[in-house]
Amino acid sequence: MTEPLLSVQDLHVHFLAEPADGRGAGAVRAVDGVSFDLAAGQALAIVGETGSGKTSIGRALLGLHPPGSTWGSIRLAGLELVGSAEAEWRPLRWRRIAMAVQSAGTAFDPVYRIGEQIAEPMREHLGLPADEAATRAGALARRVGLEARHLRAYPHQLSGGEKQRAMLAMALSCEPEVLIVDEPTSGQDVLSRAQLLDLLRQVRVETGLCLILISHDLAAAAQVAERVAVLYAGKLVEVGTAREVLEQPRHPYTWGLLNAYPNMTTARDLRGIRGHSPDPSDPPSGCRFHPRCTQAVDLCRQAKPPLVEIGGRLIACHLGGLQTLLQASDLRKAFSSNGKGEVVTAVRGVSLEVYEGEVVALVGETGSGKTTLGRLLVGLLDADSGHVVFEGQDLAALNGRERKALRRRIQFVAQDPFDAISPRLTVAAIVREPLDVQRFGSVPERAKKVRDALRAVGLPAEPPFLERRAHELSGGQLQRVAIARALVLDPKMIVADEPVSMLDASEQAKVINLLKEVQSERGMGLLLVSHDLALVRKVADRILVMRQGQVVEGGPASRVVTRPQHEYTHALLQAAPALGWEVGQV
Amino acid sequence: MRARITSYLVTLWVVLTLNFLLPRLLPGDPLAALLDPQSSDYVFDAEVRAALEACYGLDRPLLVQYGAYLRGAVTGDLGQSIRLNEPVGELLTGHLPWTLLLTGSALGLASLVGLLGGAEAAWRRGSAADRLLTAVSVVTSNAPVYFLGMMLLIVFGAELGWFPLAGGRTPFSHYDSIPAATADVVKHLVLPALTLTLSLLGIQFLLVRNNMVAILGEDFMLVARAKGLKPARLKWRHALRNTLLPFVAHLAAQAGLAITGAVFIETLFQYPGMGRLIFEAVGARDYPVIQGVFLLVAIVVLTANLLADWLNTRLDPRLAEEVSR
Repeated sequence: MTEPLLSVQDLHVHFLAEPADGRGAGAVRAVDGVSFDLAAGQALAIVGETGSGKTSIGRALLGLHPPGSTWGSIRLAGLELVGSAEAEWRPLRWRRIAMAVQSAGTAFDPVYRIGEQIAEPMREHLGLPADEAATRAGALARRVGLEARHLRAYPHQLSGGEKQRAMLAMALSCEPEVLIVDEPTSGQDVLSRAQLLDLLRQVRVETGLCLILISHDLAAAAQVAERVAVLYAGKLVEVGTAREVLEQPRHPYTWGLLNAYPNMTTARDLRGIRGHSPDPSDPPSGCRFHPRCTQAVDLCRQAKPPLVEIGGRLIACHLGGLQTLLQASDLRKAFSSNGKGEVVTAVRGVSLEVYEGEVVALVGETGSGKTTLGRLLVGLLDADSGHVVFEGQDLAALNGRERKALRRRIQFVAQDPFDAISPRLTVAAIVREPLDVQRFGSVPERAKKVRDALRAVGLPAEPPFLERRAHELSGGQLQRVAIARALVLDPKMIVADEPVSMLDASEQAKVINLLKEVQSERGMGLLLVSHDLALVRKVADRILVMRQGQVVEGGPASRVVTRPQHEYTHALLQAAPALGWEVGQV
Repeated sequence: MRARITSYLVTLWVVLTLNFLLPRLLPGDPLAALLDPQSSDYVFDAEVRAALEACYGLDRPLLVQYGAYLRGAVTGDLGQSIRLNEPVGELLTGHLPWTLLLTGSALGLASLVGLLGGAEAAWRRGSAADRLLTAVSVVTSNAPVYFLGMMLLIVFGAELGWFPLAGGRTPFSHYDSIPAATADVVKHLVLPALTLTLSLLGIQFLLVRNNMVAILGEDFMLVARAKGLKPARLKWRHALRNTLLPFVAHLAAQAGLAITGAVFIETLFQYPGMGRLIFEAVGARDYPVIQGVFLLVAIVVLTANLLADWLNTRLDPRLAEEVSR
């Protein structure tokens, strides 16, 4: 590989915080050790949430930060830029590296005409006479889809989209080698967003410039750039090809970001990443994502993970990326139905995985073997062959004591709570039972756990309710109690077998939303066994379709619902009650 | 623009009315001296006093006086001074040029220095020079104008003797040439104009500096920097050009301030402008003169505002559009 056109190594941008709070000046670590290379003609998307430091990287590439706040290395065709004086930066800006800034709405001087402002850098850098610069500004405007009247207009007379285009024309005016485009689509409606992305692609093809797209918009990144770098709290967490990163995210943050991203093809409800973005002046120790990560271990709190190559992409994660929570391989189970030696095979060779913090729906009609599979996965049944590995432990290899300990980590919610729960027990006793079995803590500690679990499922945690008997509760209440009972041990994963099928439509929606909420809040894995495709698509990340003991189709929920591959999935979708409507919407 | 002119006319009417009422709310009246047995002007005869009141129209109902006043204001007949027994119009035309000369030169100088200094200070915000200039401006803009005047008078008038102590020109002098006359007027103008400049400069400077600091933080200035423009171009063509908009709007308000400042300064320097006329007329409750002077001041301030409005529509394309709409 030849030398990259732009090489950024270990870039830092720290600002002195305003000492307004009296605590003395602390450094805001906007960018904290970012490295990437870009060959001529390549496009890289830098993706991250607001405040992740994306814009600071863009500005650092133009030397716009106050002196002394930037260090590391930025090399443009071998020329080191970091530490250059303002006078050395000036001829580079716009001429070799230009930027279309995020806030095009306020990026133009309000007192000069648009055309004048596009022409200004051409006179300054290329030494063009005024009339020639104006002519070229006209040509640039046509290229980005503006007309002569737009050039004669003042900034306040243009719409947001037109300003965005004018910004792009201005950025292209001196034919830079590197073009930085900061949030080109923010605040744009869908249509002008699509047109703008088209335009960016077209510009790339025509000019062959090197493009850096800064965006929180993952879809935009995928459409314009071939490589994506995911930034979190000033550090890169995952870098790879756009296709790899966006279709199979490996870092837990990227995965969470994708789940939080609205998408036309997903029917699922949106979910944010739990917790909040860190304070850049006081970032978390170790891996900066660990407070929000569902799979964080002690190492993550202690040491910063390096950005290393794993499977063809760069990932900064001590665990090498998203962990597999539960893995089943080639599970088989047969029952002898009636003592006559007639054998019914319920599960015939199923393999599946559930990742950290993932919701997987196992869908199939009655008799498809999904309930049996659910019970195999949590060790309530033993498989005839195949393995279930949970957090690296093979269930079959566990002894009695270990199996009991496993209950703390994986819990099962049964289909019919009236069937699974003794009607004479009080609510408190039902929820406390797993704690008693596990001999968890002291009596007051157990009582507190019980109250927390009940609150988490939206039930009262006061004495009158705690003393109610199971048979006095409604179906919805009892199912919530059952979920609280599953949560009380803080499990890593819950397998829920038709948790809402006994409830009416409105209760169904409430309880399924509750399960999703609790799962997201606690960062658990959730396997949802259901016959109702319409219902689970609202919460599932992935859907597996089961028929006659086998998984016939599996994939991201959006794809399975909108583009089913297997005819059986088609049939299930057809059978789903009015899929166009929101089922049991509350 | 038509709506704007209408609003100015309404303002003018309100000013005219206030101008009529306010002097009459002052305790005492123009003929008080004539009624005071202690005064040398004491008129013993009640009939003569009544005749005097009738002569100045002071015995008529207030509403009738108001009507006569408005008619006079429109036709340009501002009446007779009770104290000096001269037509008010002539008094005003005699004094106005001096005040215009004084405030105009002070305002112009303060604006020029304030713009250039404020722009430089904003450009080097946080530097030692910026902090010093800002501190000095805060002090001078808050110092009483007569204190500033006294200091200048003592140092440059009395001690150094560079400039005359009082007046608008040398009394009883005859000039051979226009340059000689100009030189004499300028010599008398320097100290009062400098005093007024100093008192206005601080505000001008702070206004320009603070507005420009805000503008330097705008997105378009970041873009202009990213465009690799030369520093001079950033500073003058983009930052200062945008700072002019709030500055011009403020300048009109300063015109009023300059004239009130001039009252003190003209009194201090015995300068023959409107300030002294006001001062003396108020002391004597000389209603026609007070009315005339304040009317003129109001017209000057309103005209300055109208000018500033017009100038801003030329400077700011956003306003231009609003006006043409």
